[in-house]
Amino acid sequence: MSKYDTFIGLEIHIQLLTETKIFCNCKSNFGDEPNSNVCPVCLGYPGVLPALNEEAVKLSYIVCRAMNCDLAKEGVFERKNYFYPDLTKNYQISQFEKPFGRNGYFEYESGDEIKKIRFHEIHLEEDAGKMIHEGDRSYCDYNRAGTCLLEIVTEPEFKEPQEAEDFLQAFRRAVRHLGVCDGNMDEGSMRCDANISLNLPGKGLGTKAEVKNVNSSRFVKKALQYERKRQEKILKSGGTVIQETRLWDEQRSVTESMRTKEQAHDYRYFPEPDLPPFRPDEAFLQIVEEAQIELPLARKQRFMEQYKLTEVQAEWVCEEKQSADFFEKVVSLGADAVTTAKWLMGNIAKELNARNIAKTDLGTDSCQLTEKRLAELFDLLSNNKIHAKIAVQTLQIIFDEDKNPTNIVKENGWEQSAEDEGELENIVKQILADNPKVVEQIKGGDQKPRGFIVGKVMAATKGTANPQSVQALITKLIEG
Amino acid sequence: MKKIKDYQSKDVQSYLSQVKDNDKDIGAFLEFNDSAEASDIEGTLSSVPFGVKDNIAVEGMHLTCGSKMLENFVSPYDATAVKKLKEAGAICLGKTNLDEFGMGSSTDNSALGVTNNPWDTSRVCGGSSGGSAAAVAAGMVPFALGTDTGGSIRQPASFCGVYGLKPTYGVVSRFGLVAYASSLEVCGILADSVDTTRTVFETIKGKDVNDQTSIDHIPASPEAKTIAVLSGDLGLSPEVEAAYKKAAEAYKEKGFSIIETTLPMLDYGIAAYYTIAMGEASANLARYNGVRYGHRSKDASNFEDLVQKSRDEGFGDEVKLRILLGTYVLRSGFQDQYYTRAQKIRTAVRNEFDSVFEKADLIMLPAFPTQAFVHGDSSLDQFQQKLADKFTVAANLAGVPSMSVPVSVENGLPVGMQLMGPVFSEERIFRAAEVLAEVLPPAACPGKMEVC
Ligand SMILES: [Zn+2]
Repeated sequence: MSKYDTFIGLEIHIQLLTETKIFCNCKSNFGDEPNSNVCPVCLGYPGVLPALNEEAVKLSYIVCRAMNCDLAKEGVFERKNYFYPDLTKNYQISQFEKPFGRNGYFEYESGDEIKKIRFHEIHLEEDAGKMIHEGDRSYCDYNRAGTCLLEIVTEPEFKEPQEAEDFLQAFRRAVRHLGVCDGNMDEGSMRCDANISLNLPGKGLGTKAEVKNVNSSRFVKKALQYERKRQEKILKSGGTVIQETRLWDEQRSVTESMRTKEQAHDYRYFPEPDLPPFRPDEAFLQIVEEAQIELPLARKQRFMEQYKLTEVQAEWVCEEKQSADFFEKVVSLGADAVTTAKWLMGNIAKELNARNIAKTDLGTDSCQLTEKRLAELFDLLSNNKIHAKIAVQTLQIIFDEDKNPTNIVKENGWEQSAEDEGELENIVKQILADNPKVVEQIKGGDQKPRGFIVGKVMAATKGTANPQSVQALITKLIEG
Repeated sequence: MKKIKDYQSKDVQSYLSQVKDNDKDIGAFLEFNDSAEASDIEGTLSSVPFGVKDNIAVEGMHLTCGSKMLENFVSPYDATAVKKLKEAGAICLGKTNLDEFGMGSSTDNSALGVTNNPWDTSRVCGGSSGGSAAAVAAGMVPFALGTDTGGSIRQPASFCGVYGLKPTYGVVSRFGLVAYASSLEVCGILADSVDTTRTVFETIKGKDVNDQTSIDHIPASPEAKTIAVLSGDLGLSPEVEAAYKKAAEAYKEKGFSIIETTLPMLDYGIAAYYTIAMGEASANLARYNGVRYGHRSKDASNFEDLVQKSRDEGFGDEVKLRILLGTYVLRSGFQDQYYTRAQKIRTAVRNEFDSVFEKADLIMLPAFPTQAFVHGDSSLDQFQQKLADKFTVAANLAGVPSMSVPVSVENGLPVGMQLMGPVFSEERIFRAAEVLAEVLPPAACPGKMEVC
């Protein structure tokens, strides 16, 4: 046990899923051909002015509300001044004194506990372009310049690197459920800077180091673990930690000082004179309210409670909003909840995988298995119209041929019907009569040959017979 | 006097060559539009030539801002005001000279050329919209677009004996105006008559989706009966003092009631104005660093070096001074002392105007304490020129409209007075200016260009 308290804070940047950039009508696709989604406004030409994209503001308020923030009655943009080649105007339009959200919090699971992290603020800003270095030359791609970036700043209240990782995963899931960000850390649409300081218990925050350039939640944990050890070593030997920015080196698993004059930055914030303050009206706040959803953690807990799912099932189903919505729709159509969850995790997941269909495609046009079709399939199964093996085959055909399960079963003559119980009995009788030796064996107490008889019956019925019914008939006809 | 339709030209190129000839002694233009041609759009402004201050974007033309920094920069788009004029059939004849980035009140701060006052070529034309004022005064164009951050339309209008309107803040889109001090400046008009000013104003005003600080114009009452004038020693030159009295007498003669008032906040206005303007300028001009925009130094070894050398080589002294001061006032920890305090003074100025407008429909005050001074006049250094802006900056701080109106010619040089009203009172100002013109008709500049 360390003799120091650890204080970890995170600054998370998420790329909002808006069609267009924050201040112009350029497409918000920064992976396209370099400098193809640019215009005078996002390139900062002399004389241009920003025109705020209200969709970006809406998504920002949706996040602020979901994260339990006090929503700004007046949100103000400010200029953050610094020179950098990827910043076209050499100032970034951001927020400072009056961000859209303050004082929020978020609950996440860490180990067996539900933990709570408080947010200092959430603010909207424009992203910068991207530098591409090639040999001794540098190029700028401004496709990303002016895309909508939401910055979420936590209080420095994580105690363990593990908590930071758990939080990031839960937060990522939450923004995906909210539909505001795709959360791809490796592609940079969700980025995280971490700060960490150590101090003797009761002494409050220590001198912090900031860690940048970490592109996965696991690396955030590793970088923080490394950084905690480094700082602990310094403090134990009587030294002092320097306040600085350090870069995470993924190859070597170490953090390294950036050795720049970054600390000396005075951003000289002042209110952006080109944009009036944003004051949400009732109608806007109503839209924000209506966009609120049950967050993944709450939903998972409810699924366990209401549908009696196991934690593993609930976790799987609630990983994406689309899968959770799909699940609830199927259940609302009359399907059994646990069966639905099992099928989703098993047979359906296998089919999705095999066909390269994402879990997030469930319930969309990209997935042939609609909620209605799955409910129909379960209906056939629970009414003994088909048995499990046929159901799996039917599922495959739903994907392959984009057809309704009832039609598939009909077309293939797979229907097993309760009325045909008499006919099935005749078939079993006939097969038993054809195989007297086997009957003797069973009578003598050897149960193994039962499988042989079942196989014969299945062959005779082209697989439509319910194996359990066949077993029951064998028992009845031999022992009865 | 020439009417706007006298300028309608079907042979724009031959007109342009006359203008070029005429401009040799004046130097109003930095660039001419050699592809200008007559328009077939119907309307008052059809085929009427106009000038555009070279800090306002015109597609395919240079946008130098009078600076070495942007000497080679060509705009790929039209400013909203320019676009609206083009859509009305008017023809941009060329880009006019200005103090570098609008910083100055003589146009002598231009890095790209000298503009002379058409009334006396040994004198300055005022600034920063000096080229536009000179082009109108010399009769080369009936109107020109200018920008007014702290008097940059009204002061040169006064120096050159033309009308100069600084509209209500936000009523004319700033889209395409190269920013100097965003919260203070507007795009406005220099013209040879009230009527032309009105026609152009009606054409370019209105809310613009590209400028979210722009607003729709909701006209205030056009009637004016009472005009306030300033009492006490205003530090005016005898000529300006005399013109001020003449104008007040003219209004009395026309049945207006003249009341005396004081505006104590004017003295604080200058400090507040320069604090805000320089702070904003320090950010607005940051994009000129040789990376994407602006002169690129040839002997830079890294990014930081490139920024420093390019800015050192590209900007003139006055611009550097204002960027440095602006950077200084915005430092963290000093904002309460400077920027925030300036904003409070700004509110106080606005309140002071509001209380005057409860008693009076308009305020009349000088545009500048003196007439046009001679080039390089050492009696007014850069600091004194800034102090002399006190009559004009107040309208920018308060966001209200104000128009410089030619009142008289004293010792062979024109003097203009400002008519200032509450927000949206442009039409009230126009009518009062027309009344004044009945008593004191504006004089034409000697040697004014004849229309072909
Ligand atoms: Zn753009």
